[in-house]
Amino acid sequence: MNSPTNQPASNAPDSSAKAPALPIWLIIVFFMLLYWGAVYFDEHGGWFDAQIYSPYVSAEQLKTYQVGGGPNVFEQGRQVYGRTCFTCHGAAGMGQPGTFPPLAGSDWVNEEQPGRMIRLVLQGFSGPGLKINGQPFNTGGAMVPWNSLSDDEIAAVITFVRGNKEWGNKAGPVTPAQVAAIRAKVKSHSQPFSPTELEAISPAD
Amino acid sequence: MKFGPLVFLAAFLGLSASWYGLVLTPQVQLGRATQETNSVVKTELYPVGRPGLAREGLEVYRANGCAYCHSQQVEQKGTLIDVVLTEVGTNSMNVANALNEAHVGDGKFNGPSVGAGLPKPVLKGATIENASVLANVLKKAGATAELHLVPTGSDIERGWGMRRSVAQDFISDATVMPGSLRVGPDLANVGARLPDLNWQLVHLFNPAAVTKGSPMPPYRFLFERRKIGKQPSPDALKLMGEFAPAAGYEIVPKPEAKALAAYLISLRSDVPLYEAPLTPPPAPAAATNAPAK
Amino acid sequence: MNATSTTSSASDSISIAEIDASCRVPLFTLFVSAAAWLVMASVFGLLASLKFHSPSFLSDCACLTYGRVHPVAVNALLYGFAVQAGLGVSLWIIARLGETRVVQPWLIAAGSKLWNLGLTVGVIGILAGDSTGFENLEIPRYGVVFLFLGYLVIAFPTLVTFHNRKERALGPSQWFLLAALFWFPWIYFTANYLLLSHTPVRGVTQPIVAWWYSGNLNLVWLGLVGLAVIFYFIQQLMNRPLYSRQLALLTFWTIILFASWSGIPQSAPVPAWIPSISTVATILTIVTVLSVMMNVCKTCGRGCSQTENPTPGKFIAFGSMAFAIAWLMNVLSAVPGVSSVTNLTWFGVAQWQLNVFGFFGMAMFGAIYHIVPQVTGMEWPCAKSVRRHYWLAALGIILIALPLAIGGLVQGFRWANVNVSNVDVAKSALMFLGVSTLGEVLILVGNLMLLGNLIGLSVRYYKIHFVPVYKDATAELKPAEVKP
Repeated sequence: MNSPTNQPASNAPDSSAKAPALPIWLIIVFFMLLYWGAVYFDEHGGWFDAQIYSPYVSAEQLKTYQVGGGPNVFEQGRQVYGRTCFTCHGAAGMGQPGTFPPLAGSDWVNEEQPGRMIRLVLQGFSGPGLKINGQPFNTGGAMVPWNSLSDDEIAAVITFVRGNKEWGNKAGPVTPAQVAAIRAKVKSHSQPFSPTELEAISPAD
Repeated sequence: MKFGPLVFLAAFLGLSASWYGLVLTPQVQLGRATQETNSVVKTELYPVGRPGLAREGLEVYRANGCAYCHSQQVEQKGTLIDVVLTEVGTNSMNVANALNEAHVGDGKFNGPSVGAGLPKPVLKGATIENASVLANVLKKAGATAELHLVPTGSDIERGWGMRRSVAQDFISDATVMPGSLRVGPDLANVGARLPDLNWQLVHLFNPAAVTKGSPMPPYRFLFERRKIGKQPSPDALKLMGEFAPAAGYEIVPKPEAKALAAYLISLRSDVPLYEAPLTPPPAPAAATNAPAK
Repeated sequence: MNATSTTSSASDSISIAEIDASCRVPLFTLFVSAAAWLVMASVFGLLASLKFHSPSFLSDCACLTYGRVHPVAVNALLYGFAVQAGLGVSLWIIARLGETRVVQPWLIAAGSKLWNLGLTVGVIGILAGDSTGFENLEIPRYGVVFLFLGYLVIAFPTLVTFHNRKERALGPSQWFLLAALFWFPWIYFTANYLLLSHTPVRGVTQPIVAWWYSGNLNLVWLGLVGLAVIFYFIQQLMNRPLYSRQLALLTFWTIILFASWSGIPQSAPVPAWIPSISTVATILTIVTVLSVMMNVCKTCGRGCSQTENPTPGKFIAFGSMAFAIAWLMNVLSAVPGVSSVTNLTWFGVAQWQLNVFGFFGMAMFGAIYHIVPQVTGMEWPCAKSVRRHYWLAALGIILIALPLAIGGLVQGFRWANVNVSNVDVAKSALMFLGVSTLGEVLILVGNLMLLGNLIGLSVRYYKIHFVPVYKDATAELKPAEVKP
């Protein structure tokens, strides 16, 4: 207003010789708050785990609260897999190169809609031209149809494979109703599916 | 300033740190979520998508700014456990002794009484550690016990939900509006609390008709007041007393009102999930046509 | 205080009058638009407030329901007033401190018109039901495009003006304003693109982006610009330099590093790490408040109003105090024990009002009342109104923030008590809302005075500067002047 210049002097390069330093108490407060913040985040932050919501504080603690009843489809699927599938696809879902395709991290397994995978299990799979994750895969043998398994068992084993985080699969589960619906659709198709046939079918079918 | 570009870069990194932490990381963690299994009934998926009319109702909710007075986020302070005895097994004396030794209840369990009125909670509001210990003790004594989860918090006590809201509850909504002010009650679970379509419509038409003294404005523009034709419309609102329209007139909801009511009724989130475990209440017994005994 | 004579030769140095003259057109456009939007925001805010006391007031029209009127008031205040006034004052401070003329003043004025167009279209869209549903981001897509373009058209010449500065050393005000100038388009584009494009983010990441944006706009952007203005003017009014450059440096870095993370409420339906980090960052902004208060108090000493025309100083002083209180309220509402009471209550609304109007708005008023007479060389048509505006605005915001803060606490305690019914909780807030409605009336009257003063001054300016010229040019020629 009535100042001689428009320039606040602290903008000048040679402004006030004794520029006051930061008060020490402010620095102490700052570091105390940082320490508190670190402790608080450690206790309440769940360490960036996307599954931990307050009031739970850790993955271990959340696990202890899983006391819900109901049939454990995942475990049932694991048992079906151990009886039936692991001989070819391996205990870790890695398959055998050149013969049996892997299930771990496969794009066929991780599709959002499980239609193709259910057809595979129900009616079997054979023929050339299989591509997994974009890479061609030579299958030595064929996959036999497993329509002798019940809808519940098929749903359980597919849920287990699709949702097995240890194998890197994170697709959604499958219900027995979905299996029954596809079983009805493929009744007329007696031969195992070939890769080209399956690729032609939309996954949402 | 001597270090101009350096300071600029440092400031840019500082400001983009929040973008990285609060925009990118949550998107990576939560952005591609798909349906999850119900953690109790593992053959059910959650959430099921909203039916078409409810999805239109979400747009009406958004356009009229309902989120400025209503939130959709239930909070939870903690989780307590009830230990529920389901079967006594062969030796009820053992079970009673085990319970008395564990100083459960008033320690007055005895053989005959412990098996009466099953299933019954023998320990309420315990921590998970104590509850697990008691369940093991009961198992050793030959009984079967279940652990029931009881979420706590004022929102839950008010009946606004049975568990806290989590990210999974919102993945099927086009616009997610958790709200920022609670002038009115939380709506995350209103479909479970107030599932009657006519109640919702009457409440939208004139909130004072169902809740005396409510500060919620009436949404009359979502309805139409018209003369009754040969027969009253099946959609007409059932209004009583001073709130009923004049004789010969009826209040009929417009499509927006029906959509909004359908959306409100579709708001249910009481499904147990891995990240928000819950023991759902037992389903009511199936109705039958058999004559009452 | 040294006269800064770092300018090279006499022919290069520009007089203050020339700098001010180059600012005239953009500042007029920006300030008059800002004042007009401010009045509109007050009107709609009052309308929304009245609906609490009489729920069926104007409720028969879909476009005037509370859920549409309230976002219009918020967006008009934030984008119509706050951002435009902020950009105008930034431009003037950058030009003055850089001792250089404003570049392309007419382009900046055009940018302001584009901004106004976008906001008008957006407001009409909200009233018609096209609100996006996200807090502080309700303007639909078609309005956002114009707003963003308008901002770029305003910001680019401002940046060039800064680049042309003769005085190369930078002070705190300039750091703050430059950071803010770059930060707004980044957060605005990111938030709107992620939420409103053809492939928006899904699920709960939507409100997370909206909260991130809100925190950055209300705390970081308004904080940077508001504090830049406060720092500049307290130096001007007290005729001495800022107490400590180092404290200003600390303020700058704590705002950028911590205030940009705050905004996620504790109750949010998101994994626990997100609200935790937000809480820690919010509480760390205590350091920002302490550093600002220390700087301001030590610079001002006995008070900012010891000058000839004290009112702008009073506005600035009030703005600084409101800054401290609003940011401390924000910190308080993040403290883990307190947040369970104040979350989702009127306390947050009170804090927002105090921050946007009490801190930023008052600082802008002080700046505008100081700048416009300098830039035009004319006095305000009604000097008494300036003083009255101060008292109306100060009293008004106190009558809004204090009752709503207390009402929010009451509301929080009552929601936590299961025995209180929904209606009773709502009713308990009505008394506090009543007092805040009165505050809104006072603020509306004050804002009308500002608009009146600005329009009056522009009319007078037009009469003095253009009318004689026009008359001269269109006057009848005397016979002697006609050449054969």
